[in-house]
Amino acid sequence: MHIYPEQQQGFVERQRVEQHHNIVRQLRSLPQEAHQPYDWTEFRRRCRAKADTESRRGVSSRRYAAIAAAIVLAAVAIAAWVRLAGPGAPALTQSTSGPEFETQPLVFATADSRADAAERWLASLPSEPPVVRVGTRAAVAGLEDRLAQMDDLLSAARVEGTQPARLAALEQQRARLVNSLVQVRFAETLVAESR
Amino acid sequence: MFSQLSSKILLAGLLIPLAAWANDKSPPDAAHSDKDAGLEAQLDDARHRLEEAAHEVAVLSSQLGGPLVERFSTFDGAFGRAIIGVQLDPSSGKDGARVVSVSPGGPAAEAGIRAGDVIVAVNGTTVTGDDATRQVVKVIHDIKPDSKVSVRVKRDGKTQDFTVVARPGPGIMAFGDDLPTLPEMTQIAPARPFFMIQGPLSNMELATLTPQLGKYFGTDKGVLVVRAPPDSALKLEDGDVILAIDGREPTSGSHATRILGSYQPGEKISLKIVRQRKTIDLETTVPEGMPGHNRGFVVPGAGHDLPPPMPGKVIIRHHEDQTI
Repeated sequence: MHIYPEQQQGFVERQRVEQHHNIVRQLRSLPQEAHQPYDWTEFRRRCRAKADTESRRGVSSRRYAAIAAAIVLAAVAIAAWVRLAGPGAPALTQSTSGPEFETQPLVFATADSRADAAERWLASLPSEPPVVRVGTRAAVAGLEDRLAQMDDLLSAARVEGTQPARLAALEQQRARLVNSLVQVRFAETLVAESR
Repeated sequence: MFSQLSSKILLAGLLIPLAAWANDKSPPDAAHSDKDAGLEAQLDDARHRLEEAAHEVAVLSSQLGGPLVERFSTFDGAFGRAIIGVQLDPSSGKDGARVVSVSPGGPAAEAGIRAGDVIVAVNGTTVTGDDATRQVVKVIHDIKPDSKVSVRVKRDGKTQDFTVVARPGPGIMAFGDDLPTLPEMTQIAPARPFFMIQGPLSNMELATLTPQLGKYFGTDKGVLVVRAPPDSALKLEDGDVILAIDGREPTSGSHATRILGSYQPGEKISLKIVRQRKTIDLETTVPEGMPGHNRGFVVPGAGHDLPPPMPGKVIIRHHEDQTI
């Protein structure tokens, strides 16, 4: 029987989706402790709980380990984020809402929902950490200004009826900037929390 | 490019586990505190590299967005314009201009404006009717940097007023073949380039003064210098509280960073500070490598060159417009 290229492509796509679903099912079936690495909030909560029960010496040792684990987690997360942020790449996100640890099911998100999630996360942060390092803060400030400039331009471009392709290009760049701002603020927060 | 950066961040993170491992293996003797100090130093170093990698991500990302912004700015008729940071719905209806989204950390967000708000008046002028969004866009277009803009919005059926402080828009490095010619560009006010960090001030650490800290330091406002820049740059010391920079009163560490970033290297600067509970004035000079005054977007020593220019002219916007 002859298989048309469209059928072949559809078959491959279905196979990919099915593979992803299998992975999700497997992850969901894992015991709680083996789920995805917990988030930074939970990480800090656990560190503090340990700190209450251990001696200063012990805390000192574990503090390094804790910070190390967190930074490695952060680095891996940032690396994964950057890889997944490539054009056309499927967005695999794990939402972590609320202060309590809660493993959410892995979801395949659209680029829009990913950007929304990123902006919600940014909005949830304090405007700056308690102690700011001028170098890092300047980087954040630069990105924030560029984003604000993009948004003003988008407003003007939409009112002027700019070509959809140009608008799409601007929106894509905006998403990239939000992505970078998330990374930079995550690094800044991580450094601030490890002090 | 970003994968390389991620690798750097990863590398910075990996150094910390080594510190932890070494700490766990160390014998419980008097030398322990020395080891702790060494590990603290390593940790500090790793933090520093993580911050540098993050900064590099910021600079390169902004650089990538530059050409597009440049083209749209050209199309729109102005460089270095004030920025507010809102996206408006062009088909908002007759009640006002609906805010689709607010730029994270932008002036509108800082003022408290949120997505979903409907702007009904700007600077006392009511904006309603079919072209409400266009009216708001026009007002934003004409705003001067650092000016205060009063914005009235409807939120959940109630009217609220906000004051937005417009910021000067960042400058741009552009690569392209359809940009305006230099004589036209030179007529435009100089734009502030993307913040860059080099030199002693990049390591300065600041904290916004809380009421409790204020009591301790003997002032109820200002920004605390947690770690002064090395080499006595700006003549600041740990524990100083910056009350004013050339008359401008910083309200947060971010604000102080932005103010400092508006100076040129070698410029004279007057600081009013509190040191040991006494208010004193410092006359000092902005050191080389200040944020905001470096040419282009390249991070020295980061191992990155400029991306290959596209065919056509290359324009680097800086304090003084230049064509190379």
